[in-house]
Amino acid sequence: MIGLLIDMIILYLGAAMVAVGAVYDVIAGIGMLRLPNFYTRLHAATIGAVGGAALPLFGTGLIALVSDQLGPYRVSAAVLCFLAGIAILLSAPTGSHILGKAAYRAGASDREPCVVDMGEER
Amino acid sequence: MDTSGFLDAFVPAVAALFIAAFTMYIVRALRGPSIPDIVLAIDCLSYDLAVFIALISIYYGTALLIIGSFLLALWAYVFDLFVSKYLLRKELG
Repeated sequence: MIGLLIDMIILYLGAAMVAVGAVYDVIAGIGMLRLPNFYTRLHAATIGAVGGAALPLFGTGLIALVSDQLGPYRVSAAVLCFLAGIAILLSAPTGSHILGKAAYRAGASDREPCVVDMGEER
Repeated sequence: MDTSGFLDAFVPAVAALFIAAFTMYIVRALRGPSIPDIVLAIDCLSYDLAVFIALISIYYGTALLIIGSFLLALWAYVFDLFVSKYLLRKELG
């Protein structure tokens, strides 16, 4: 009885994490489409990576722990989901930082709606 | 416990939101004025594809698909690294 209750709590917690992550993902898509230049689109990419990909992967791992369709493979599926979430959480900020710095050094993208450029004054 | 009835209603509703986000990322990847814009849009696209593959795997109950999700999550970082090195040094590898 208690085990069934804990399973239900884990299932609804994972479903809530996936739903919140989907909303974050739509917000990141709107930002990626509407923001004016590359350096502001980096913020939208961070929302899409941390809120829109790592959080739903953790929620998917929680759902996979209590899913009865996966059968004997549910623990391995949950562990792979958690590992993918941790990999995204560690590598997405580093990757976008590298990309932003390389684009700034190489002058590869437009800086046009620019308020202040601290790298230029140095 | 019986989760298939709940997941049959939940996963398509969430997948609609993810497909809307996919469409906006693809529009930016096709329209992006410079190379870093395209790379950033493809990064977000591959992260979301990882989540989408995990959702499909839960919906159909096949655990083998999640391995592809893990590889996609690692591939986007390598893509960032190679493109930024090409932008700085004009060489690949």
